[in-house]
Amino acid sequence: MSVVDTEFLEIFRDEARGRLDRIVDTLLALENGSAAVDAVDSLFRDVHTIKGAAGMVGLDEIGALAHVMEDLLAGARHDGALPGALIDPLLRGSDSLRRHVEGDGEPNDALIAELGAAQVAAADPAVEAHSPAPPAAGQAAPAESRSIRVPAEKIDSLLDLVGETVLHRRRLEHELGAQAGRGGHGPVSDELDFGERLLDELKGAAIGMRTLPLASIVTPLPRVVRDLAAESGREVELVVVGAETELDRAILEGLPDPLIHMIRNAIAHGIETPQERARRGKPARGRVELRAEQRGGMVEITVADDGRGISEETLAEARRTGSLTEVLTQPGFSTAREVTGISGRGVGLDAVKEQVEAFGGSIEVRSEPGSGMDVILRLPLALALIEVLLVERAGNLYGFPLASVEEVLSLGETLSLAGRPSIELRGNSILLADLAALLGESAEAPAHAPVVVLTASGRRVAVTCDGLLGKEEVVVKSLGPLLSSLSIYLGAAILGDGRIALLVDPAVLVRASTERSGAVAAPVVSAAEPSVPRILVVEDSLTIRELQRSILEAAGYRVQTAANGRDALAHIDGDAPFDLVVSDVEMPEMDGIELTRAIRAHATRSALPVVIVTSLGDDEHRQRGIDAGADAYIVKQSFDQHDLLETVERLVGR
Amino acid sequence: MNGVHVRLRVGRERYAVPIENVLEVAERGRLSAVPGAGAAVLGVRNLRGQVLPVFDLARVLAITGDDGSSRVVVAECDGRLAGLAVDEVTDVGALDGVAEETGAEHLSGAVLEDGQLVGIIDVARLFGSLAGVAA
Repeated sequence: MSVVDTEFLEIFRDEARGRLDRIVDTLLALENGSAAVDAVDSLFRDVHTIKGAAGMVGLDEIGALAHVMEDLLAGARHDGALPGALIDPLLRGSDSLRRHVEGDGEPNDALIAELGAAQVAAADPAVEAHSPAPPAAGQAAPAESRSIRVPAEKIDSLLDLVGETVLHRRRLEHELGAQAGRGGHGPVSDELDFGERLLDELKGAAIGMRTLPLASIVTPLPRVVRDLAAESGREVELVVVGAETELDRAILEGLPDPLIHMIRNAIAHGIETPQERARRGKPARGRVELRAEQRGGMVEITVADDGRGISEETLAEARRTGSLTEVLTQPGFSTAREVTGISGRGVGLDAVKEQVEAFGGSIEVRSEPGSGMDVILRLPLALALIEVLLVERAGNLYGFPLASVEEVLSLGETLSLAGRPSIELRGNSILLADLAALLGESAEAPAHAPVVVLTASGRRVAVTCDGLLGKEEVVVKSLGPLLSSLSIYLGAAILGDGRIALLVDPAVLVRASTERSGAVAAPVVSAAEPSVPRILVVEDSLTIRELQRSILEAAGYRVQTAANGRDALAHIDGDAPFDLVVSDVEMPEMDGIELTRAIRAHATRSALPVVIVTSLGDDEHRQRGIDAGADAYIVKQSFDQHDLLETVERLVGR
Repeated sequence: MNGVHVRLRVGRERYAVPIENVLEVAERGRLSAVPGAGAAVLGVRNLRGQVLPVFDLARVLAITGDDGSSRVVVAECDGRLAGLAVDEVTDVGALDGVAEETGAEHLSGAVLEDGQLVGIIDVARLFGSLAGVAA
């Protein structure tokens, strides 16, 4: 048995012990009449959970016994009461389970037979339960390393102390450095070095108590994938990357269910049949990848498949609401057209989201029609001890998790991308933003600014600040419940000199940089209020053009006009970004359909919403417009203020 | 009946916080700004290794305080901590007089002492609205 298997067994044992304790207490309470109203339900749940968990770790003896106990309890639950005659067999079943959990169980066929008979007897009092055969001689218990159970809070307080000791150490170094100057030799410096090593070891040992590698729960997954694939006529290969990534034990224990749910979704809703894959030019065998990676103070766990991805309808819905993740995690949303046997009866990702959020984590879904889906879970680490890059901006100190820092540059030439400042890094354009502006502060733009390139969720942003203070290992302290709504901060760190650095969540920062066009550092962004959506009206008829302009301007939008598609593209390529295009179909030079296609193929503005204006009954134009990627159409003859404004409002999200 | 309170001054007004909700009274200390946290949050400070958010009590109560409050009352309620920046902590003692109901959002009542109204701060309700202003 591998080390990780052993570790996972230990988790199972811990859980089973706790549940068996409760089962026995509850059975005894039922016997003496002091049980709670939901006693039978509680028994059923505990036995059911033990059965499921035993199956996951391959303890079939336990699974089989728990299964027959579960059947007994299911009957009792149905009848609303547990017959007194069943209490004794159930207690003996629990004892046998406990012996198996502790590794010295005997074969329990006889007990299983007895419990089966007891169920029949309970159903029909005329039938006598036959007496059990004497148990066969016990098998030798597998050798097991000695372990003790420690309440999680005790380990947590140990971790807190380690964190405090690290802080104390930094303060001590700071004071000694201030007294004697850096880089001294002699006994004090030797002792400091020794202390550093000890502290590292202590830290490692303490973290090791609270964490386990992901590998400890992936063992059953290849089997799960195989069964699900066979059931649904798919060929699927499971690839696990980063199995050594350490996670908090408590989270790891709750992770199998969401993981299996995500894998089941990938197979049932994502991977196509081998024939369909062949048609699409994909290898017959689908691929599901389970990836774990530590990013900043979080661990990212991704289940990625190379299947069909989301439907066009879902994509359109996601464009409308602005978030694919939100659409897919709504209660009851299922990506399968029909409910299949293995798709969990329409249970969507909402259940996964709920579980992940209960751990203090978050979920993100990325997908395109035809090209697979990534479901990403971000989970907090056990001990909030992370390495950060410290920077200064407008007199404040900030820390970026080092895992998210891709590169540090000095600011050279700035370019413009989608009307916003950007830099060029090895052939890629990256948005450039002032840290203060991203955080919603106004401060004078830094001169000779260092630039920190951050990566998160597959996106990058280049952030300017006043100066770099170097990297440091810090303990993440919560900002407290009263400031917990500030999602942009992971927390704060107290530095060796007592100052506080706010730890910035790179994922939120990257999102802010792409969303908040107004909050971006501004060499050139125009002075107009960024909150007013800008609309481009494309129409060759002057009358209609000016009519649309007046309607939209009266409703508070800023409007620019173009006389044809080519003219429109020139505007779109210009400095100020538009939030929406309203376009006629029939136009000289470049028509509305071609314009829509050109926008969808645009390097940076492919997501720009397009409303097509067609003539009444012109179904062909309408269809071509939709095929080209238009978001909505308006019929010209029924063209009234209401219709246009409602559509525009919906698409720009005002 | 009124229990022991910490009496304090914000601008020209007087308030009292039940002693059960006060962990200590500290200097204002060095505050680090928290961009994005709203104007009522003066910043966070290091209180013996803890990160303590410090709120501008004058702003929360929508009154005018002195320029630059000097003291921080470290208040606690249901495990939540906040520093309340005030202009002066006058003393600690039992309130004289009978507490009267007031309509004020953050007060559990008020007493008349030496001809001046002293508002009794309801820390639980105050924290409830602090969590809102920080967003």
